[in-house]
Amino acid sequence: MAKIKLDLFRFDEAVDTIPHRDLVEVEVPETTTVLDALETAKAEVDGSISFRRSCRSAICGSCSMNINGVTGLACKTNCKDVIKADGSIAVDPMPNFQPMKDMVVHMDPFWDKYARLKPYLQPKDKDSDHERERRVSPDDMKKLVDVANCIMCATCYALCPVVSVDPAFAGPAAIAYAYRFIEDVRDAKRDERIAQISEDYLWLCAHCYACSYCPKHVDPNNRIIDVKRAAISDKVMMDERGPRHALIVAKSIKQTGMLAETELIIGTVGRFNVVGLLKVTFLGAALGLRMGLKGKQPPIFMKPIPKVDEVRTIFESLEVPV
Amino acid sequence: MLPEDRPLDSHKHTHSRDTKRYGFFPGCVAKESCKELFNSTMLLAEKLEIELIELTAASCCGASVVNDVNRDVARVLNARTYAQAEALGLDDVITICSTCTGHMRAANKELIESEEHMTHANSILGKFGAKYNGGVTVRHLLWLLIDDIGLDKLREMVVRPLNGLKVAPFYGCHIIRPENVNGWESARNPHSLEDVIEAIGGEAVDYAGKTRCCGFHVQLEKDGIATNMVGQNMRMAKDHGAEAVITPCPLCHLALDGYQQDAAARWGRTDLPTFHLPQLVAFALGVPAEKLGLNKHLIDPRTVLVERELIS
Repeated sequence: MAKIKLDLFRFDEAVDTIPHRDLVEVEVPETTTVLDALETAKAEVDGSISFRRSCRSAICGSCSMNINGVTGLACKTNCKDVIKADGSIAVDPMPNFQPMKDMVVHMDPFWDKYARLKPYLQPKDKDSDHERERRVSPDDMKKLVDVANCIMCATCYALCPVVSVDPAFAGPAAIAYAYRFIEDVRDAKRDERIAQISEDYLWLCAHCYACSYCPKHVDPNNRIIDVKRAAISDKVMMDERGPRHALIVAKSIKQTGMLAETELIIGTVGRFNVVGLLKVTFLGAALGLRMGLKGKQPPIFMKPIPKVDEVRTIFESLEVPV
Repeated sequence: MLPEDRPLDSHKHTHSRDTKRYGFFPGCVAKESCKELFNSTMLLAEKLEIELIELTAASCCGASVVNDVNRDVARVLNARTYAQAEALGLDDVITICSTCTGHMRAANKELIESEEHMTHANSILGKFGAKYNGGVTVRHLLWLLIDDIGLDKLREMVVRPLNGLKVAPFYGCHIIRPENVNGWESARNPHSLEDVIEAIGGEAVDYAGKTRCCGFHVQLEKDGIATNMVGQNMRMAKDHGAEAVITPCPLCHLALDGYQQDAAARWGRTDLPTFHLPQLVAFALGVPAEKLGLNKHLIDPRTVLVERELIS
């Protein structure tokens, strides 16, 4: 048996204005999970400690919370892996959500973003046209299997730094779920779905891979890239900064072998977007001028790397759309 | 808390090496708007008595963005770079950018682990007479410092210890995540930068922002996103007592150094000077401050060095 000090976030929106912390000591088997330690604390010490849980085996997605500052499923986290040197484990509600009571948060923004996707199959043909279920080849299904493992625990959403500064961003789970229908051969609304998720700021993903910590290995980070590629190959909402940026990066590498920084800024913001360009580059407080004064401005024309023809051969062989 | 069912990277170097020649991939930004990073890396290499042989014909690594356009292009571009390194007899490629590290390692992992990918890449490389045999390892200069030089040796080499300067580490995403691509250390609780800070006489500041994103890759997509991400992280660093920041990534550097001023309106003034990793290490090893391009930074790091009586 091991003694664990649970350092708990305590807050009840019905009565408290600010949260406080409680230190609760429990004695549990050494191999116990954080969820079991919380259950023990609730049963033996303080029945008012609140947290969501159900299946206890990483299937229901209820018990995601911050454990020593890192979001994850309490039922999948072993105490001995996270316990600090002083024998404590800090438990907090998921970030990027409004706390309701202790570790229970208001999940509404997360569900709202799912709902916007119309997360159900919208088939190309009527059910009555089919005598039996619609058949999908194993290869077509393989693409969807990982995403279908999503248990909507919101771990990725809580970890997402873009959500933390811009709640309008759909977040990793919703984009991964959009992918699940975009790549479903039975679905009829592929381009509408791509347009919808683009409007919900698909291209704001910062490529930080925080969502690679997904407890179910859905890999939302790679599904986001898949959806972006689908947007580019289907040419949906291409006049946004995101796709423009991706294409200008590819074009720059093809032409010079390098990222031509000046060209990237102009190409992304829009060559004819004079106000936008002034804002990014030259206006009084803006970065471009400050960088220029320090001699940090990138070169206006990039000299191609030696043997740049080889790079162009690669782009042409792969038929990269630039 | 490592994900228990994911293998850590198998390319991790543990064996000692006799040669001190390395292939060197500086990346785009160190050749463009962060030239001070390139220069201070070369000065540091001189102090460490290692030879960095620049792969001058190498292309951009793909910068995490070309994947959005095509799933194969980054892999083949990097295979071309590795073929060049192999042709020069250099099986060790050193990077000085977190994004280069992550994306070059990801490409290399795909090439080495999948015969199909390797054959496909070589079928294109063959058009210009190149071939990659899978013998290259990509590592960041930070890892070289710890694995090949060693913290004890580094400590011995310090001639200008940082006098307890409180330095906040800022890793940059792609040197630690995804863990199955990098895996050199825990992505959730890395400590290589802390170890280096302490070896050169500084005090490492612990704060939750150290493994978070600087927002660089979306700086142009929507106004304010990267600025707020920088503000949020630098606020945390400042509140935990940081006097300066160190980063192994020039993209993070551009964001942290560039956006703190604009972030002040929402996050309060932080004004934390940001050092490139090789700048601060080279400084502690005795390279004169005026050679390190510190005057190129928007938030002048010389102020804090003067305050700590490290320069006059």
